Amino acid sequence: MDSIITVSSLVKVFANQKALEDVNFNVGHGEIFGFLGPSGSGKTTTIKILTGQLHPTDGKAEVFGVPTSALNSPYYRKKFGVLTDNSGLYERLSIFDNLKLYCDLYDVPVRRIDEALDMVNLKAEQKKIVSKLSKGMLQRVLLARTLLHEPDLLFLDEPTAALDPANSQHIHEGLRQLNAKGTTIFLTTHDMQEAEDLCDRVALLNKGRVQLLDQPKALRRQFSDATVTVELRDGRAIILSTGPEAAETMHTHMVNNEVAAIYTNEPTLGDIFVEVTGRELI
Amino acid sequence: MTYSLRRVYAIFQKDLKDVLKNMFITTSLPVPLVFALIASRDPNPPVEAHFMFINLVLVMITAFLQSAIIAEEKEKNTLRGLMLSPATTLEILNGKSLLTFVFTIVTIMVGAAISGYEPANLWLVAVAFLFSIFFYLALGTLIGLYTKSMMEASVLLMPILLVFGFGTMHRAFIEEYAFLSFTEYFPNIQLLELAENVQTGAGIADVWPALTIILAWSIVMFLLVIIVFKRREIDE
Repeated sequence: MDSIITVSSLVKVFANQKALEDVNFNVGHGEIFGFLGPSGSGKTTTIKILTGQLHPTDGKAEVFGVPTSALNSPYYRKKFGVLTDNSGLYERLSIFDNLKLYCDLYDVPVRRIDEALDMVNLKAEQKKIVSKLSKGMLQRVLLARTLLHEPDLLFLDEPTAALDPANSQHIHEGLRQLNAKGTTIFLTTHDMQEAEDLCDRVALLNKGRVQLLDQPKALRRQFSDATVTVELRDGRAIILSTGPEAAETMHTHMVNNEVAAIYTNEPTLGDIFVEVTGRELI
Repeated sequence: MTYSLRRVYAIFQKDLKDVLKNMFITTSLPVPLVFALIASRDPNPPVEAHFMFINLVLVMITAFLQSAIIAEEKEKNTLRGLMLSPATTLEILNGKSLLTFVFTIVTIMVGAAISGYEPANLWLVAVAFLFSIFFYLALGTLIGLYTKSMMEASVLLMPILLVFGFGTMHRAFIEEYAFLSFTEYFPNIQLLELAENVQTGAGIADVWPALTIILAWSIVMFLLVIIVFKRREIDE
């Protein structure tokens, strides 16, 4: 797969403090790539470097095959969209007026406003003044603004952080549809369930370093202890690993109709993160 | 390099809608016209009386409005969105200056009509106004880029109001304190002297040094704006 983002040996230092240290990864065209880590791990710094808002101290960061310092031309700016935690809206204007400005800036027809708002479940609210919106609605308007020009590459920094589960679900569906049309998505989150649901591959970032990088399923398998928990009808739960003895036990319980449920003991991405870094994901 | 009038106009349109809903700004805008009214009470006011309100327009509308709309973009984190959009530095700066420019021209014309100011050579004075407006636009942009909020921008504007807004009054001080003689080269003083000379029949051959000085201030300030804006694009 061709890479749309290439990062190698990336280092970023702020006032003698290393925010990123020897970060390496590629993101392929059409991929949903999750960049996961707790607050302060370097996720936003990486997005800022990849969108040309920060210069790397050392190493290489390329997007669309060009160094990120070359991204400030209108040609490249039309090819990507960014939603970060410091994106803002014009509070005295309506949702429609906010988005209309960006339609003009990106040279896209005004009808895209309806489509983008539909995707974030706000189509009926477009006349509302931004200052009257809840935090979750603001986040959805910002996301709609990012989607207006249907970018080839989307950088989303905690896109569903302020949203309720129903709206998060709606946005996940929209992102999947967008991805199916070919948009590559670079997603930072500390919501491991979101990452498992959406991402083709994830990188776990801790203290400015990528600790693990793989498909969520592969990571879970890698860190799995290959056991299953069997819950019996009498309330007991037994943990079985592989091998003839475990198979015999399982067979006996099943023949005797004692099995109520069977669970695999694969760890979640959150469990893996804690195991690798010793830190909670907050 | 591309230049999109659509993007410039989009920013102008957005600013117009936004400013008209901003009570803090809309209530400040008519203040200089009070001075035009004061000048109109004199049946034959000197040029300096007209320039009381003109200099106030340049500070309180051109520099203040410009700094306020830029500072508010920073305060509300909306400038970053513009910087990350396909709009170039020049398109953003022009778009953000267009509203201030229009408000300045309209207020000067309304104020001149009220105070009865009729330049002896309209075109020459208009060119001097144009150069001065560029200077104050750039000054306002610079203040907006350096401050974090609209309130901070208005506080920073106070000393500028004293130097440039009421600057014509300090010509009296220059005569008394020689060390202040460098202020004669300030754009507001040059504009006033140019207007006074034009009123007594001076032509382009007589006033070109003043025009050049005002233009030089504008160019220096514009270059500073470009440098600072480019730095602000990077979030270091």
